[in-house]
Amino acid sequence: MTNKRFGVLLLLMVLFAFGAQAQQTTSVRINEVLVVNEENFMDDYGHRHPWIELYNNSAGTVDLGGCYLTNDKNNPTMYVIPKGDVLTKIPPHQQALFWADKEEQRGTFHVNFVLDPTKENYIALYDSDGRTLIDEVTIPAGQKADISYGRSMDGTGDWINFTRVTPKANNITLNVNEKVENFRINDSWGIGMTITSMAVVFCGLFVLYLIFKQIGNASIRASQRRAAQAAAVTGGTVSANAGQESGEIFAAISMALYEISDDNHDIENTVLTIRKVQRRYSPWSSKIYGLRETPVLKK
Amino acid sequence: MFSSILLQAGVAHESFTQFLAENIQIFLSYTGFANATPGHFIMLLVGLLFIFLAIKYEFEPMLLIPIGFGILIGNIPFKDAGLQLGIYEEGSVFNILYQGVKQGWYPPLIFLGIGAMTDFSALISNPKLLLIGAAAQFGIFGAYIIALQMGFDPSQAGAIGIIGGADGPTAIFLSSKLAPNLMGAIAVSAYSYMALVPIIQPPFMRLLTTKKERLIRMKPPRAVSQTEKIIFPIAGLLLTAFLVPSGLPLLGMLFFGNLCKESGVTRRLAETARGPLIDVITMLLGITVGASTQATQFLTVNSIKIFGLGALSFVIATCAGVLFVKFFNLFLKEGNKINPLIGNAGVSAVPDSARISQIVGLEYDPTNYLLMHAMGPNVAGVIGSAVAAGILLGFLG
Repeated sequence: MTNKRFGVLLLLMVLFAFGAQAQQTTSVRINEVLVVNEENFMDDYGHRHPWIELYNNSAGTVDLGGCYLTNDKNNPTMYVIPKGDVLTKIPPHQQALFWADKEEQRGTFHVNFVLDPTKENYIALYDSDGRTLIDEVTIPAGQKADISYGRSMDGTGDWINFTRVTPKANNITLNVNEKVENFRINDSWGIGMTITSMAVVFCGLFVLYLIFKQIGNASIRASQRRAAQAAAVTGGTVSANAGQESGEIFAAISMALYEISDDNHDIENTVLTIRKVQRRYSPWSSKIYGLRETPVLKK
Repeated sequence: MFSSILLQAGVAHESFTQFLAENIQIFLSYTGFANATPGHFIMLLVGLLFIFLAIKYEFEPMLLIPIGFGILIGNIPFKDAGLQLGIYEEGSVFNILYQGVKQGWYPPLIFLGIGAMTDFSALISNPKLLLIGAAAQFGIFGAYIIALQMGFDPSQAGAIGIIGGADGPTAIFLSSKLAPNLMGAIAVSAYSYMALVPIIQPPFMRLLTTKKERLIRMKPPRAVSQTEKIIFPIAGLLLTAFLVPSGLPLLGMLFFGNLCKESGVTRRLAETARGPLIDVITMLLGITVGASTQATQFLTVNSIKIFGLGALSFVIATCAGVLFVKFFNLFLKEGNKINPLIGNAGVSAVPDSARISQIVGLEYDPTNYLLMHAMGPNVAGVIGSAVAAGILLGFLG
């Protein structure tokens, strides 16, 4: 029995671990690619190369270490992103930029393949098992210089060309909170918000009411059944109110039972007893600690 | 001798007395007396008033004592010399404690404790009382409408409106997300009015009800089985969180705490949540919210507006709850009618507003005990205000 429980627990833990892992790495997306880099972003060595931007589309930090980037459908493990580099940890909704310069000795973010502007470029990101495809994109041939190919919304959306290239930055920059602006413009009196919100609050609590109405009815019926069974055994009768008794009745019965079992002082004896209390020796009451030493006259 | 030492240190003074005088002058410039402004004294008086109300009249002492003392701490004037003293200075002790308010993780922990100490039996035995809790949330949106008209933007108006939910942790949670710059004023306003529920609510309860309505006797709630009590937090979470996922931190912790209490097998967890944990968080939350009311940040026209709106939202919520019960009674059979004096309990403020229902009810019929009935809408109000906060966060976050 213990082994069985342990097994179930272990299984749940393994499933949870797999789920957590999958949830983390699969939220990364290929976000923007620049195939022809003539006057755009430079790497740390001062060189311009094609680049691939990955975007963490989740609310948690994701470590790309161990994942694979490739431009070959038949070779998913073309470039392994090194493990142990703190820079491969992408904070929530942030980007990482990889240089497609075939100069992998230059560091973690330099992959071992290049992008060819004259033909279609396939780019894929694989999970650390080398088999699970996380994201892929095929960039059409004939990309123009310094015009990137990216997602219309970061992490989601269709692929479009960007004349305003945004390496390591959001593809779309929002200056205002659209939702708030919508309410400011379309609901300046707040009536829409009030009606919608009150409707949602009422609906939520109304459904809860319906559910608990049914559960309450079922509970009452179950109590009545139990009362009927008990009555059949004891030969008593079932009251019409069975199952709906007030808590006060139970409280009164409990109090009566308590009094019967605990009330042993109905008749108080009137004999007053003075019990002699004996205390053991205590240093607090010892006289030797309360006396000063006799002063000694030194000559 | 002294002059040679001073010269070695690179600072020369004509005389030692001048050196001492300068030092004393520097010391004095760092004292609170030298840096005090009228604003500081006003806030100190507010803090003292809170402490006085808590001790003399026992208005929510658990809240007003920490907040009042926090106001005193936050309004001791000092010179900003990079000593990391103030609550708004990164790295200071108070700033570290304040993160629980700022990042919004104290409120869910408070909700965990509330869940572990709340008995939903009254609500489960008479689930239609849930709707009163929903109606009273109109206070939030009434205040939202008025705040918009007073020039606040929608997210600020939403944060201010939540004061009408009469739920301090919810108010802090939402304002930390929607309007962090107004959070101090909103939190103090919410807690102050929660403490003042015994003064705010009764006049409106009397105004909106007839003597006949105040005498309505409600059926005593039936005893609820443990199975129902266990199902309630699970069904409550699944339903409300599916409907309003943005309320998950509050609703999740509330119902988790309640499940710990009702499951019967996690007594230690429930006792910790409703005992030491909630006590610790209440102290930290109260003291930091109080300390966040530094006169320089707090004494603004917006704060005064927020206080006005807060009072108004409580009034609207109370009236909405009472009027809804009167309306609801039109559809209920004789014998099933609800005493409208429990309508005020739809605002959260657990259990004070329920206690008000009981006190006002007893004034008109000394044998009509409304407390247990009022606890139904009272705890429904907690759920309702958390749902409303989730909706506002979803729309405006």
